[in-house]
Amino acid sequence: MANSLRGKVAIVGVGQSPTGCVPGRSPLDLTAEATLNALADANMEKAEIDGVLTGNAFASSFHRFSVALSEYLNIQPSYSNTLQVSGATAGAAVNTAAAAIHSGLADTVLVACGDSLLTGMTPDLAMRAMTESRDQQYEMPFGIPVANTFAMTAHRHMKEYGTTSEQMAQVAVTFREHASRTPGAQKTELITVDDVINSKMVSSPYRKLDCSLISDGAAALILTSAERALDYTDTPIYILGGGEYYSHEHIFLMPELTQTGAVHSAQKAYEMAGVTAADIDVAGIYDCFTGTVLMMLEDLGFCKKGESGGFVEDGHITYGGQIPTNTHGGMLSYAHPGIPAAWFHFVEVVRQLRSSCGKRQVANAELGLVHTLGAGFSTQATTILGTQSTR
Amino acid sequence: MNKAIKDVLEKPLPIPDGDSQALWDGLKNGELLLQHCDDCGHVQYYQQRICRQCQSVNLQHKAASGRGTIHSFSVVYRAPGPAFKEDVPYAVLLIDLEEGPRMISSLVGKDFDALDFDSPVKLKTIKIADEVCLPCFELVS
Repeated sequence: MANSLRGKVAIVGVGQSPTGCVPGRSPLDLTAEATLNALADANMEKAEIDGVLTGNAFASSFHRFSVALSEYLNIQPSYSNTLQVSGATAGAAVNTAAAAIHSGLADTVLVACGDSLLTGMTPDLAMRAMTESRDQQYEMPFGIPVANTFAMTAHRHMKEYGTTSEQMAQVAVTFREHASRTPGAQKTELITVDDVINSKMVSSPYRKLDCSLISDGAAALILTSAERALDYTDTPIYILGGGEYYSHEHIFLMPELTQTGAVHSAQKAYEMAGVTAADIDVAGIYDCFTGTVLMMLEDLGFCKKGESGGFVEDGHITYGGQIPTNTHGGMLSYAHPGIPAAWFHFVEVVRQLRSSCGKRQVANAELGLVHTLGAGFSTQATTILGTQSTR
Repeated sequence: MNKAIKDVLEKPLPIPDGDSQALWDGLKNGELLLQHCDDCGHVQYYQQRICRQCQSVNLQHKAASGRGTIHSFSVVYRAPGPAFKEDVPYAVLLIDLEEGPRMISSLVGKDFDALDFDSPVKLKTIKIADEVCLPCFELVS
């Protein structure tokens, strides 16, 4: 791969705001707090940030969130953008930040996002805001909640591969157990498969506990070149590979409901990093719904197509299994403030690779993967992270 | 009333544009128009000026037979906002049309027990506003 950014850029700081139910705090306020915490983590002054990439916030009226955040922090970057590829924004922003640093557009990039989906909006406004990401002509008039497009893919997966509701529920059960070990997680009381199956139907086959939470919160990452990284931290976490894929916009033009563009985004990221799925020690996988995780385990190469249900039931996404996933609890149990949610997957995988996760530490974690996705599997972004700049 | 709140209380209506005017006009006459490419034979839904397969602009609108089968479906119990609260539960369908294209739609009626993969369905346009008819589907018994 010509001019690859493998090992050229590192994450040197991570930070977050309080998460869960955080009333009285604006999206900019939460994001600024996460940024200040990331700066402290990197032992860095804010003036050293010369690039800012963010997603947008539903509960904020700013169209240029990255520019508004810079003003809020009183910094004047020479590189800035507010990205919008729905749930994949986190991965796309990290990949783009790495490319900007590698190309010389910026030296040090803040990648941040925050929103107050829980207390900054009414439940109806939050639901409607997320629904409005569907096409107003060909999709929205039929009354399509966010869960619906994902539900139809999961339903088809059940039909084609015999995947069961109980297997999907196991994803929620596993991530809840992970969240119970994580300080600040929104939901920590343990649940069973029966609890998930007996929760209220939202959009069949998804029930309430198959769906991610609604939360407030923000997280921030600071990236700089591998050369500068050691000035800030003894444990830089290097970007080893990035890949994205955008296969469709409308759910009815998704090439296959049970195989997603993650196959391609992951292949590109693995190739750049020079690794395979079998090499990955810990993963952060976008978990807007339980069945989403099952399909990603297949498309990212952790198990064969159609076998994810048994893979999860056999304990392969938790400690001691093949690929401990979402050790913070994910969007299903840690927090889901909308677009910022996947930032927490990055924060967690970085902390795992730094071996700073205490009682939820995955032993000998050296290579991590974060996969973010959105809009009914329309948008896909994979990032490979590692403790060493070369492998 | 705050505009954002008002928007939430009303159902989203399609706003036809240059690409899609013919489709929405056709639906008012009970016809679901598909675009057939004169150059490569591709049949497409939704409407746009160029063929998505060969980029030709030689597209002809032809009414679909209205027959299709269910590729996947999901019954919605939690409405996407207040505008749909009185409608729940309702079934959203992904339909494979006889002519080839797939489309998203919703089921007329609430016979969810009869819904299944590959079930045959047929078009039934439903008027939702003065100038707007939606292409919905009903089960073929």
